[in-house]
Amino acid sequence: MTDRVSSGSERLDAVLGGGLLANSINVVMGLPGSGKTIVAQQYLFENASEDRPAVYLSTVSEPLEKILRYGQTLSFFDASAIGTRVFYEDLGASLNHQDALTETLGRVIDVLRERRPGLLVIDSFKALHPFASDATAFRRFLQDLAGSLSAYPATSLWVGEYGPGEIEVEPEFAVADGIISLAAEPTADRDTRVLQVLKLRGSGFLSGKHGYRLSADGIHVFPRLADPVDQAPYTLETERVSAGIPALDEALDSGLWPGGSTLVAGPSGSGKTLIGLHYIFKGAEMGRPGLIAGFQENPTQLERIVNGFGWSLGRDDVHVMYRSPVDMYLDEWVYELLTTVEERGIRRILIDSLGDLRATATDEIRFREYVYSLLQRTAHAGVGVFMTQEVAELFGVTRLSEYGISHLSDNVILLQFLRGESRIKRALTVLKTRASSHDPRILEFEITSNGIELGERFADDQSLT
Amino acid sequence: MPEVATYSIGAVARMVRVPPATLRTWEERYGIVQPVRSEGGHRLYSRLDVERLRFVADRVREGISPGDAHRMLSGVSGNLPLPAADAGTQVVILLAERDPYAAEFAEFFLKTEGFEVVLALDAADAVLALGTDRPQLAIIDLLISGGAGLELCRDVHARGIPVLALSSLATRDAALEAGASAFLQKPLEPLQLVSAVKDLLGTSSFLTEVVPAR
Repeated sequence: MTDRVSSGSERLDAVLGGGLLANSINVVMGLPGSGKTIVAQQYLFENASEDRPAVYLSTVSEPLEKILRYGQTLSFFDASAIGTRVFYEDLGASLNHQDALTETLGRVIDVLRERRPGLLVIDSFKALHPFASDATAFRRFLQDLAGSLSAYPATSLWVGEYGPGEIEVEPEFAVADGIISLAAEPTADRDTRVLQVLKLRGSGFLSGKHGYRLSADGIHVFPRLADPVDQAPYTLETERVSAGIPALDEALDSGLWPGGSTLVAGPSGSGKTLIGLHYIFKGAEMGRPGLIAGFQENPTQLERIVNGFGWSLGRDDVHVMYRSPVDMYLDEWVYELLTTVEERGIRRILIDSLGDLRATATDEIRFREYVYSLLQRTAHAGVGVFMTQEVAELFGVTRLSEYGISHLSDNVILLQFLRGESRIKRALTVLKTRASSHDPRILEFEITSNGIELGERFADDQSLT
Repeated sequence: MPEVATYSIGAVARMVRVPPATLRTWEERYGIVQPVRSEGGHRLYSRLDVERLRFVADRVREGISPGDAHRMLSGVSGNLPLPAADAGTQVVILLAERDPYAAEFAEFFLKTEGFEVVLALDAADAVLALGTDRPQLAIIDLLISGGAGLELCRDVHARGIPVLALSSLATRDAALEAGASAFLQKPLEPLQLVSAVKDLLGTSSFLTEVVPAR
């Protein structure tokens, strides 16, 4: 098996099928500000040792002084390593010669001989282009450089401000064994950073676009959740559990299967969040720790709501993950959710609401992929999920969810308003239960200080519109 | 540098001056120095294995029984220094390498260690150099001249010159069967190349007549 070179980031390595291939040539491309230099330096410090140091060669568009000045703000930047296991050098002097590329090639070969590095970065590689007298001269330089780098056991990163249109044009992309693209995709009024592996010779990798963020700790990649259909058998719990509302349990034929997913759809004010909170708090009381993943009510507002029903967010077995949907990445959120579930032994999740979550995804297909993958993972882990979904119509609901999530859910509950003689009535209907029967009636319910209380069946002449 | 099993039993026998049959007997009887096996079943020794066997062989030559020598080895294992071989001044190495970039690096690192290097970029030139330059060691890229390296290995081996075989492909077994004493997969670590060369020459450079450098 071919050795891999780690980035120090487990998730980036996972996207690369385990890491960059040892002794390979890789292009890291992206427009200014996309984090190329940060990624390159992350590889630099992660792989440097005194026996096999790492060398960073700057050219002309990235002055060495600037790289070092900003580099030292990164948490992995180790100033004590410079001069022993990490070397920063400037190719600028070689580029001042008349035959700049021949001089540069000679300098790179000297660096390989003298430093004997295991990792070599050239930043910016694209900036070498104008020093070639013509395209043929550049190709000749490229052939010699690639030949030398292939003959020597060093992994190299060629960093450049290449745009997507240059992949077909510039010869370095044909020479490269791996191509990592860092880009920003506009979503409404903001940009979403996406990392994509465009080529990785002789290795599998996670295809598609993966969200990422940059911080002082380097790059944080959120590999696209697109779990294939997992046909491996897993153990199901054999006893149904209470949803938290006795009458709903009855309508659901003795409660829910643990690990099942339930969509609660209804117009604003119909009681979706409240049903979800019952699911969480009653679950916690039954020894099933809960997670409230919300976007609208912040913890203070939520505390006031749950206090009204005699609960408190202060308990250890209920965790709140509140995030503002503004400037939130779906990828990051899902990973945070899954990590919290694992770390805290969560057995029940309330996602309130799907509409807010949808707003964070770049497109609907990606949103569905994420929800599908999330529900697959929670089902395998035996973790139950309640999702709320707002519908636009106050009366006479005709459409459930425009995201197609109802197909993915094991149970679908519809809450709606019905017109009464002098008041609005709340109605609950179980539309779907997977792997069990259910009560198909439309049931009236009321929200009281005791929670949700189910009433009787409506009269036959009750208007449903 | 990770410990890599590089040397054939023939190469180790020459390096520690113990017949291959005795090495096999020691391995079976004492089970202390255990070479790994290639896919084809060839014994492959690392540099540390070689030094451990050299320790045992030296004790046996001092009159200690092989059993006691192995027991002494168990006591000092892990503390055996890897001695740097003597600089190969005046030793001539034939470097038969098809890739000019790889040849440039290998030549540079070998010359840095004081070896005289005769470079041949194809098999015909290599055969010519065997007669004119009388090398003490041949480094052969098995893919030279479109894959003529194995044939060249047999030829060089038949002349009693140890061969260090190289290839980008994992063809260790074929190389050993063709008479190579050791095999390294490309691209080469400079230290690994130099160590393997020094190890293979470690004994033979003292025993054979040294050719004055040109």
